[in-house]
Amino acid sequence: MNPRWNDLNQMFGAMDLLRNRMNRINRLFTDYDRAWGGNEGWPMANNWPRTNLYDDNDHLQLVAAVPGLAKEDINIKLQGNYLEISGTRKVTVPDGYTAHRLERGGETSFSRSFTLPVDIDIDKVEATLKDGILTLQLPKAEVAKPKKITIN
Amino acid sequence: MSEKMELVNREEQSPVAGSKAPTVVPSVDIYENDDEILLYADMPGVTKEAIAINLENGRLTINGHRKVCGSGTAQLEEFGEVEYERAFSVPQGIDINKVKANMTNGVLSLHLPKSDAVKPRQIEVQAG
Repeated sequence: MNPRWNDLNQMFGAMDLLRNRMNRINRLFTDYDRAWGGNEGWPMANNWPRTNLYDDNDHLQLVAAVPGLAKEDINIKLQGNYLEISGTRKVTVPDGYTAHRLERGGETSFSRSFTLPVDIDIDKVEATLKDGILTLQLPKAEVAKPKKITIN
Repeated sequence: MSEKMELVNREEQSPVAGSKAPTVVPSVDIYENDDEILLYADMPGVTKEAIAINLENGRLTINGHRKVCGSGTAQLEEFGEVEYERAFSVPQGIDINKVKANMTNGVLSLHLPKSDAVKPRQIEVQAG
Protein backbone atom coordinates (compact mmCIF):
# COMPACT_ATOMS: atom_id res chain seq x y z
CA MET A 1 0.00 0.00 0.00
CA ASN A 2 1.12 3.52 -0.69
CA PRO A 3 2.55 4.97 2.54
CA ARG A 4 0.67 8.24 2.01
CA TRP A 5 -2.58 6.37 1.74
CA ASN A 6 -1.77 4.55 4.93
CA ASP A 7 -1.25 7.84 6.76
CA LEU A 8 -4.56 9.11 5.51
CA ASN A 9 -6.31 5.97 6.59
CA GLN A 10 -4.79 6.22 10.01
CA MET A 11 -5.93 9.81 10.33
CA PHE A 12 -9.48 8.89 9.45
CA GLY A 13 -9.29 6.07 11.94
CA ALA A 14 -8.27 8.53 14.64
CA MET A 15 -11.07 10.89 13.66
CA ASP A 16 -13.59 8.10 13.85
CA LEU A 17 -12.40 7.19 17.30
CA LEU A 18 -12.65 10.80 18.37
CA ARG A 19 -16.15 11.14 16.96
CA ASN A 20 -17.14 8.01 18.78
CA ARG A 21 -15.74 9.36 22.03
CA MET A 22 -17.66 12.58 21.51
CA ASN A 23 -20.86 10.68 20.88
CA ARG A 24 -20.38 8.81 24.08
CA ILE A 25 -19.75 12.02 26.01
CA ASN A 26 -22.83 13.61 24.46
CA ARG A 27 -24.89 10.61 25.41
CA LEU A 28 -23.64 10.97 28.95
CA PHE A 29 -24.74 14.59 29.00
CA THR A 30 -28.22 13.98 27.64
CA ASP A 31 -28.68 11.38 30.34
CA TYR A 32 -27.35 13.81 32.86
CA ASP A 33 -29.66 16.57 31.70
CA ARG A 34 -32.66 14.33 31.68
CA ALA A 35 -34.90 15.47 34.45
CA TRP A 36 -35.77 12.02 35.72
CA GLY A 37 -32.29 10.57 35.56
CA GLY A 38 -30.14 10.36 38.65
CA ASN A 39 -31.73 12.00 41.66
CA GLU A 40 -35.47 12.56 41.82
CA GLY A 41 -35.14 15.91 43.54
CA TRP A 42 -35.73 17.17 47.03
CA PRO A 43 -38.78 18.92 48.37
CA MET A 44 -36.70 21.98 49.19
CA ALA A 45 -35.80 22.48 45.55
CA ASN A 46 -38.10 24.96 43.85
CA ASN A 47 -38.95 22.52 41.10
CA TRP A 48 -40.59 20.09 43.50
CA PRO A 49 -42.86 18.29 42.86
CA ARG A 50 -41.64 17.00 39.51
CA THR A 51 -44.46 17.68 37.10
CA ASN A 52 -45.60 16.66 33.63
CA LEU A 53 -48.18 18.47 31.56
CA TYR A 54 -50.02 16.81 28.70
CA ASP A 55 -52.48 18.11 26.13
CA ASP A 56 -55.03 15.84 24.44
CA ASN A 57 -57.01 18.57 22.59
CA ASP A 58 -59.96 18.70 25.01
CA HIS A 59 -58.06 18.41 28.27
CA LEU A 60 -54.86 19.38 29.88
CA GLN A 61 -53.53 16.75 32.22
CA LEU A 62 -51.09 17.69 34.94
CA VAL A 63 -49.24 14.88 36.65
CA ALA A 64 -47.02 15.48 39.68
CA ALA A 65 -44.86 13.05 41.65
CA VAL A 66 -45.67 13.63 45.32
CA PRO A 67 -44.40 10.59 47.26
CA GLY A 68 -45.51 10.40 50.87
CA LEU A 69 -48.24 12.99 50.59
CA ALA A 70 -51.79 12.24 51.65
CA LYS A 71 -54.61 14.16 50.02
CA GLU A 72 -54.98 16.30 53.15
CA ASP A 73 -51.41 17.51 52.69
CA ILE A 74 -52.00 19.05 49.28
CA ASN A 75 -53.64 22.33 48.37
CA ILE A 76 -54.59 23.02 44.79
CA LYS A 77 -55.61 26.51 43.73
CA LEU A 78 -56.81 27.39 40.28
CA GLN A 79 -57.69 30.82 38.99
CA GLY A 80 -58.22 31.29 35.28
CA ASN A 81 -55.10 29.69 33.88
CA TYR A 82 -53.01 30.12 37.01
CA LEU A 83 -52.51 26.91 38.95
CA GLU A 84 -50.78 26.57 42.29
CA ILE A 85 -49.94 23.35 44.10
CA SER A 86 -48.68 23.69 47.65
CA GLY A 87 -48.53 21.74 50.85
CA THR A 88 -46.38 20.21 53.53
CA ARG A 89 -44.62 16.92 53.42
CA LYS A 90 -44.51 15.37 56.86
CA VAL A 91 -41.42 13.23 57.07
CA THR A 92 -40.57 12.93 60.73
CA VAL A 93 -38.45 10.49 62.66
CA PRO A 94 -40.83 7.93 64.15
CA ASP A 95 -41.02 7.86 67.95
CA GLY A 96 -38.27 5.95 69.68
CA TYR A 97 -36.18 5.43 66.55
CA THR A 98 -32.75 6.78 65.81
CA ALA A 99 -32.01 7.90 62.29
CA HIS A 100 -29.19 6.30 60.33
CA ARG A 101 -29.74 7.87 56.98
CA LEU A 102 -31.93 10.78 55.97
CA GLU A 103 -32.17 11.46 52.28
CA ARG A 104 -35.82 12.23 51.88
CA GLY A 105 -35.54 15.83 52.97
CA GLY A 106 -37.32 15.84 56.32
CA GLU A 107 -40.45 17.91 56.85
CA THR A 108 -40.74 20.57 54.20
CA SER A 109 -43.36 22.75 52.69
CA PHE A 110 -43.49 23.28 48.97
CA SER A 111 -45.28 25.47 46.51
CA ARG A 112 -45.21 25.40 42.78
CA SER A 113 -47.21 27.46 40.35
CA PHE A 114 -47.91 27.12 36.66
CA THR A 115 -49.38 29.37 34.04
CA LEU A 116 -51.41 26.99 31.91
CA PRO A 117 -51.34 27.57 28.16
CA VAL A 118 -55.16 27.83 27.95
CA ASP A 119 -58.13 28.74 30.13
CA ILE A 120 -59.72 25.92 32.08
CA ASP A 121 -63.32 25.01 32.82
CA ILE A 122 -62.77 25.25 36.57
CA ASP A 123 -66.01 23.52 37.62
CA LYS A 124 -65.09 20.31 35.83
CA VAL A 125 -61.56 19.88 37.16
CA GLU A 126 -60.87 16.52 38.75
CA ALA A 127 -57.96 15.66 41.01
CA THR A 128 -56.87 12.17 42.01
CA LEU A 129 -54.01 10.88 44.12
CA LYS A 130 -52.71 7.37 43.63
CA ASP A 131 -49.38 5.72 44.46
CA GLY A 132 -47.80 9.08 45.15
CA ILE A 133 -48.87 10.53 41.83
CA LEU A 134 -51.22 13.50 41.74
CA THR A 135 -53.23 13.77 38.54
CA LEU A 136 -55.29 16.79 37.57
CA GLN A 137 -57.74 16.51 34.70
CA LEU A 138 -58.21 20.03 33.45
CA PRO A 139 -60.92 20.35 30.79
CA LYS A 140 -60.26 23.28 28.51
CA ALA A 141 -62.74 26.14 28.49
CA GLU A 142 -65.09 25.96 25.52
CA VAL A 143 -63.36 28.86 23.77
CA ALA A 144 -59.96 27.22 24.11
CA LYS A 145 -60.95 23.92 22.53
CA PRO A 146 -59.82 23.31 18.98
CA LYS A 147 -62.64 23.68 16.45
CA LYS A 148 -62.90 22.19 13.07
CA ILE A 149 -63.76 24.74 10.44
CA THR A 150 -65.66 23.60 7.39
CA ILE A 151 -65.01 25.40 4.14
CA ASN A 152 -68.08 26.76 2.39
CA MET B 1 -9.92 -1.31 6.27
CA SER B 2 -7.84 -1.58 9.39
CA GLU B 3 -8.91 -3.66 12.33
CA LYS B 4 -9.33 -0.53 14.39
CA MET B 5 -11.99 0.83 12.09
CA GLU B 6 -13.98 -2.33 12.22
CA LEU B 7 -14.08 -2.14 15.96
CA VAL B 8 -15.34 1.39 15.74
CA ASN B 9 -18.07 0.43 13.32
CA ARG B 10 -19.20 -2.40 15.47
CA GLU B 11 -19.71 -0.16 18.42
CA GLU B 12 -21.72 2.30 16.40
CA GLN B 13 -24.15 -0.44 15.49
CA SER B 14 -24.65 -1.51 19.07
CA PRO B 15 -27.92 -0.33 20.64
CA VAL B 16 -27.78 3.01 22.36
CA ALA B 17 -27.40 2.71 26.11
CA GLY B 18 -30.28 5.09 26.81
CA SER B 19 -32.96 3.10 25.00
CA LYS B 20 -34.30 1.40 28.12
CA ALA B 21 -35.86 3.17 31.08
CA PRO B 22 -33.23 5.05 33.08
CA THR B 23 -32.27 3.64 36.45
CA VAL B 24 -32.89 5.87 39.42
CA VAL B 25 -31.67 5.45 42.97
CA PRO B 26 -34.61 6.11 45.28
CA SER B 27 -34.07 8.39 48.27
CA VAL B 28 -34.29 6.52 51.53
CA ASP B 29 -34.56 7.19 55.24
CA ILE B 30 -33.29 4.46 57.54
CA TYR B 31 -34.24 4.28 61.21
CA GLU B 32 -33.50 1.84 63.96
CA ASN B 33 -34.82 1.01 67.38
CA ASP B 34 -34.29 -1.92 69.71
CA ASP B 35 -36.69 -4.14 67.80
CA GLU B 36 -36.17 -3.39 64.15
CA ILE B 37 -34.60 -1.49 61.32
CA LEU B 38 -37.09 0.61 59.41
CA LEU B 39 -36.52 1.80 55.87
CA TYR B 40 -38.55 4.27 53.84
CA ALA B 41 -37.97 4.72 50.12
CA ASP B 42 -39.61 7.29 47.86
CA MET B 43 -40.87 5.59 44.73
CA PRO B 44 -43.74 7.67 43.35
CA GLY B 45 -45.84 5.96 40.70
CA VAL B 46 -44.69 2.45 41.54
CA THR B 47 -47.61 0.13 42.31
CA LYS B 48 -47.17 -2.68 44.78
CA GLU B 49 -47.28 -5.20 41.94
CA ALA B 50 -44.35 -3.52 40.21
CA ILE B 51 -41.99 -3.83 43.12
CA ALA B 52 -39.57 -6.62 43.96
CA ILE B 53 -37.69 -6.91 47.22
CA ASN B 54 -35.01 -9.53 47.63
CA LEU B 55 -33.03 -10.50 50.65
CA GLU B 56 -30.21 -12.87 49.94
CA ASN B 57 -26.82 -13.46 51.54
CA GLY B 58 -27.15 -10.38 53.66
CA ARG B 59 -27.92 -8.23 50.64
CA LEU B 60 -31.20 -6.42 50.33
CA THR B 61 -32.20 -5.26 46.87
CA ILE B 62 -35.18 -3.13 46.02
CA ASN B 63 -36.47 -2.89 42.46
CA GLY B 64 -39.47 -0.93 41.30
CA HIS B 65 -40.78 -0.01 37.91
CA ARG B 66 -42.76 3.10 37.12
CA LYS B 67 -44.63 3.40 33.86
CA VAL B 68 -45.26 6.67 32.10
CA CYS B 69 -48.07 8.51 33.83
CA GLY B 70 -50.37 10.62 31.69
CA SER B 71 -51.42 10.70 28.08
CA GLY B 72 -51.49 13.23 25.28
CA THR B 73 -48.85 15.51 23.84
CA ALA B 74 -46.27 16.40 26.45
CA GLN B 75 -45.93 20.13 27.06
CA LEU B 76 -43.69 19.69 30.05
CA GLU B 77 -42.08 16.46 31.13
CA GLU B 78 -39.92 16.30 34.23
CA PHE B 79 -40.28 12.63 35.08
CA GLY B 80 -41.15 9.49 33.19
CA GLU B 81 -40.66 5.79 33.04
CA VAL B 82 -37.94 4.70 35.43
CA GLU B 83 -36.44 1.65 36.99
CA TYR B 84 -35.84 2.26 40.69
CA GLU B 85 -32.97 0.23 41.98
CA ARG B 86 -31.03 0.15 45.20
CA ALA B 87 -29.11 -2.39 47.22
CA PHE B 88 -28.09 -2.46 50.88
CA SER B 89 -26.03 -4.73 53.06
CA VAL B 90 -28.14 -5.96 55.90
CA PRO B 91 -26.42 -6.52 59.25
CA GLN B 92 -26.55 -9.98 60.76
CA GLY B 93 -29.29 -10.76 63.19
CA ILE B 94 -32.27 -9.77 61.05
CA ASP B 95 -35.13 -12.21 61.23
CA ILE B 96 -35.64 -12.73 57.51
CA ASN B 97 -38.96 -14.54 57.91
CA LYS B 98 -40.56 -11.59 59.64
CA VAL B 99 -39.58 -8.85 57.19
CA LYS B 100 -42.64 -6.83 56.22
CA ALA B 101 -43.09 -4.38 53.38
CA ASN B 102 -45.76 -1.84 52.73
CA MET B 103 -46.46 0.60 49.93
CA THR B 104 -48.35 3.77 50.81
CA ASN B 105 -48.65 6.90 48.67
CA GLY B 106 -45.62 5.96 46.61
CA VAL B 107 -43.44 5.35 49.66
CA LEU B 108 -42.12 1.90 50.41
CA SER B 109 -41.77 1.07 54.09
CA LEU B 110 -39.76 -1.94 55.02
CA HIS B 111 -39.66 -3.37 58.51
CA LEU B 112 -36.65 -5.54 59.23
CA PRO B 113 -37.16 -7.05 62.71
CA LYS B 114 -34.11 -8.04 64.71
CA SER B 115 -33.93 -11.61 65.85
CA ASP B 116 -34.18 -12.17 69.57
CA ALA B 117 -30.49 -13.06 69.83
CA VAL B 118 -29.34 -9.53 69.00
CA LYS B 119 -31.99 -7.56 70.86
CA PRO B 120 -30.65 -5.74 73.89
CA ARG B 121 -31.62 -7.51 77.08
CA GLN B 122 -31.70 -6.47 80.64
CA ILE B 123 -30.02 -9.06 82.84
CA GLU B 124 -31.54 -9.37 86.19
CA VAL B 125 -29.12 -9.93 89.04
CA GLN B 126 -30.24 -12.76 91.19
CA ALA B 127 -29.80 -12.63 94.87
CA GLY B 128 -27.58 -15.48 95.95
